[in-house]
Amino acid sequence: MRRLVSAALMLLLVLCPALAGCSASNAIKIGVLSISSGPDAYVGQASELALQDRVAEVNAAGGINGRKLELVIYDTRGEVTEAVSAARRLIEQDKVTAIIGPSWSGAAIPVAAIADAAQVPVVATTASNVLVTVDENGAVRPYMFRVCFIDPYQGYALADFAARELGKKQAAFITDISSPYSVGIQQYFGAQFTALGGQIVAEEGYQANETEFRPQLTKVAASGADVLLVPSATYRDIALVAKQATGLGLQIQYLGVDGWMADELLAMSGPELEGAYLASGVSTEAPEFQAYNAAFLAKHNVKASVYAYYSLDALMALEYAIRQAGAEVSGPAIRAALEGIRDVPVFTSSLTIEPDTHNPHNKPVVILQIQNSQWVNVKTYEPR
Amino acid sequence: MTIILQQLVSGLSIGAVYALLAVGYALVYSIYGFTNWSFDALLVSAAFGAYYALSLFKLPLWAAVLAALALGIGLALMLELFAYRPLRRRGAPRVLMLISAMGANLALINLINLAFGGALRAFPPFLSGSWQVAGIAIGRLDALAALLALLLLAGLRWLLYHTRAGLGIRASTMDFTTASLMGVDNNALALLVFGISGVLAGVSGVVYGMKYAVYPYLGLVTLKAMIAAVIGGLGSLEGALLGSLLLGVLETFVSAFISSTYRDLFSFAALVLILLIFPNGLLGARRPPILEG
Repeated sequence: MRRLVSAALMLLLVLCPALAGCSASNAIKIGVLSISSGPDAYVGQASELALQDRVAEVNAAGGINGRKLELVIYDTRGEVTEAVSAARRLIEQDKVTAIIGPSWSGAAIPVAAIADAAQVPVVATTASNVLVTVDENGAVRPYMFRVCFIDPYQGYALADFAARELGKKQAAFITDISSPYSVGIQQYFGAQFTALGGQIVAEEGYQANETEFRPQLTKVAASGADVLLVPSATYRDIALVAKQATGLGLQIQYLGVDGWMADELLAMSGPELEGAYLASGVSTEAPEFQAYNAAFLAKHNVKASVYAYYSLDALMALEYAIRQAGAEVSGPAIRAALEGIRDVPVFTSSLTIEPDTHNPHNKPVVILQIQNSQWVNVKTYEPR
Repeated sequence: MTIILQQLVSGLSIGAVYALLAVGYALVYSIYGFTNWSFDALLVSAAFGAYYALSLFKLPLWAAVLAALALGIGLALMLELFAYRPLRRRGAPRVLMLISAMGANLALINLINLAFGGALRAFPPFLSGSWQVAGIAIGRLDALAALLALLLLAGLRWLLYHTRAGLGIRASTMDFTTASLMGVDNNALALLVFGISGVLAGVSGVVYGMKYAVYPYLGLVTLKAMIAAVIGGLGSLEGALLGSLLLGVLETFVSAFISSTYRDLFSFAALVLILLIFPNGLLGARRPPILEG
């Protein structure tokens, strides 16, 4: 008998916090697939803080339709398997209403399949591969959305910039063949660059976690290329390419992609990459963000980043959709509201979602240059 | 022609640093008959040690290298004392030593990741730049790394063949049990062997950190070194050196003249072929496994 009582007490003790959690809140839970450890921890660090700030703000103002927001953040460590299991955990255990993230295409594509099956809307932040929101046949993935531009835009913009503005004729690239993001941009760049009369003289590849790029760089040097595209979102790869190229005596015009936007890259190989051009959706240097950046830095002692901006865009799109859904806070209702987003102000700009692709409409591509180890705006491309 | 020579130089410089690690694997394997998977963690700890000695404590380079060596040796000895020796004492099968090494490795790497974070850290520039010899760039750091590798291997050879301790090690590689019956102090020998492997891991940690960057997963490269040791003939020091240089050059040439995209496919298929022709590796002795029964 005594054993039974103590067992019951134990059970109560274990269940108490869980029960309390259930009863205390009717908050709307939003899951976040973040990266807060591993080499890409810089992606999640500022984003999580920005999201928490924003949620606190919304809740202080009374929440949405009388309900508070609650973030459930998981660290995916930048690994696809972790992102997939975290997405499942968010949906099955935490019963979140919607999910923000992930930030990279390799994880966003499998997460989209899970979201569709469970009818939980996902707003990806910086996952820019075309196949994140549509399948191979071009059919939209109903529950997957994103707030960043897609890779063809930046591939085209970079090729156009290299051929027309810089007058380059012979391009080479070093592509991470294990990343759909990297491969995608390289293909769109190549197609547009050759269409503009340029020539691809070296197509080099490597796989994730590679540290030796000298064989490829030696070939690039021998190919006579006058511009080198490094479509990577891993600053280690980019920094090592730049350092090893310098070691081999290779002086070349670099072209980069939006995944380059990490101050860590400048810290590692700013001098080697001086003069490089890259595409990005937004720039932290833009005047309209300076007040936010300064306040963020003062409050957290961490610099705001484009990843934080995109996370805020995703959250604000969700806020709008939840508000539109009204009393019916369900996956299908929020999905429908997200699809109907037209000219809704979000953090970086005003957002319109294309219903047939779930991409933001007319996101510009900004071309930046690395000057004195700073990102400097040089040109803005509006999609045609 | 220049491009072939340039690729050869790159390949040899890649292989030279594989060699430092491959020799460490070979040494431990030849005596204890298991693959010391904790090498990864030793290398990474040493790299972090050297990095923080330079950046945080502002020590001169020689002191940072000493700190890396101390970390490498210290950790290697701790692993021997707490992870391997208790197993050996109880006569555990060799596969358990391997699992113990893997477990220690994962634990240490994760600890480093948690404690310091996954960000990349760049060593202050040291010996950056390269010499231009007849149109071929030879990295100064690469040259130093290759020189260090050769010096260490020569030193190790001298120790093995011209000292009493070396005689003990060689006797143990032939037959561990009999050697101990002949008066070789097993435990002292183990400390010496793991200490040497700590030195090798420490030096390669500094070299890798300088060549690439310092981060918790820097040690993934040890897998390549392990493969190089197998190709050369596990247990043979010369074989480890040969296998390492071969692997470095093979990888580079496949990248350069076949396809960089399919580098691992072609270079490792070639390695399988080598093993099919030389089942014991290029210089591996054909002998019954040590420590059996």
